[in-house]
Amino acid sequence: MYPEVVAKIVNDYLERVKSQLRLVPAREQEEFLREIQSHVYEAYRQTEGDDDVARVLAVLRNLGEPSEVVADRLPGTMVRSGAKRNLPLYILTGILIALFGIPLGFGGVGVLIGLLAAVAGILVAYFAAAGSILLVGAIFTLLSFVRFALPDLWDKLVLLGVIQINGPAAEFLDRLSPPDQALLMILIATVFVACGLGLLWLGKYMLRGMRFLLTLTLDWTRRFAQTVRRQLRRDKHPGLPVSQVSFVKN
Amino acid sequence: MLEPGTWYCRILGIVQYSDESRDRRVTQLRKGILELAVMGVLYHERHYGYSLVRVLTESGSISLKEGTVYPILARLNADGLVRSEWVESDQGPPRKYYGLTSSGRQLFDELSKEFELLISLVQRKWKGREQAAHEGKKLVVRKA
Repeated sequence: MYPEVVAKIVNDYLERVKSQLRLVPAREQEEFLREIQSHVYEAYRQTEGDDDVARVLAVLRNLGEPSEVVADRLPGTMVRSGAKRNLPLYILTGILIALFGIPLGFGGVGVLIGLLAAVAGILVAYFAAAGSILLVGAIFTLLSFVRFALPDLWDKLVLLGVIQINGPAAEFLDRLSPPDQALLMILIATVFVACGLGLLWLGKYMLRGMRFLLTLTLDWTRRFAQTVRRQLRRDKHPGLPVSQVSFVKN
Repeated sequence: MLEPGTWYCRILGIVQYSDESRDRRVTQLRKGILELAVMGVLYHERHYGYSLVRVLTESGSISLKEGTVYPILARLNADGLVRSEWVESDQGPPRKYYGLTSSGRQLFDELSKEFELLISLVQRKWKGREQAAHEGKKLVVRKA
């Protein structure tokens, strides 16, 4: 039928196809190989050229890789030939999933929600700290203004105990004149305000990171839901490939 | 948020839209339609694998890996939509001929109606955009 070298190439190709069909029943396997053999022969006969090897290689290239030729053949065959035999195994798997998989699944969701809540908590604490530092800066600015422009009010506030400075800080401040005290407080206020604003600026990135994590989680959840939905549709129409399920009227 | 090209998408392996991605989509699109095309060819005449491929590719408008028709034929056969028969050939090994069963014909009629609806849906959208773009150009001309 073929020159010897061509026959070897064809047989090698058929062996590769056969190796892809290990799980297919022998009769079905043999029939499929005969069909492919027939195709190769027809195509070889129709392909023009002087070089036999080039002709057969072109035929096999057009036919595709063995895995492409047998694609989708295995699942259907396996379902038909092995569904009843493996029924107890499926039941056992179902029981195991019900016993362990679902609680573990709930656990996983719990861990995920816990992690997200923890990250949200850190974010809230971070912004609360930044806000507090800014508030301290604002208070120091106000006090420096009072010390510089309203010395009488400052003295009254000290007498009333609203402003209390003790220890080495008080001793140090007593050595300074009121304008110097005001200047020092402005410097301290500037440092606090700068720190607060810096934290807020860095917080922008934290917010982005948090938003990213949230979007990522939602995206994963959406994809998971889509996969489950597709699976359910496929189960509803087991005879049809996924690509055609949408064509079926319910 | 999850825009391809950003650093976190690169870390997570989310790649940018590429030729590979386009090819995958084209393959997916063809896969469903090819099955319908195979049914369409077998609706009118019985064919064996090689002749079926020749009919499908004779227009030359699409390139088709010849081996892809066999999984389709196998699925249609498993679903009882085609019946097959070995016929001896005087030109070489026997050929396996396929033809649509009555349920295959019925399904093809239904699917082709659905397919026509989908085509009209796609084309209507396209025409709408084309018209809008055209009107937009007219407005610009008038303004000038």
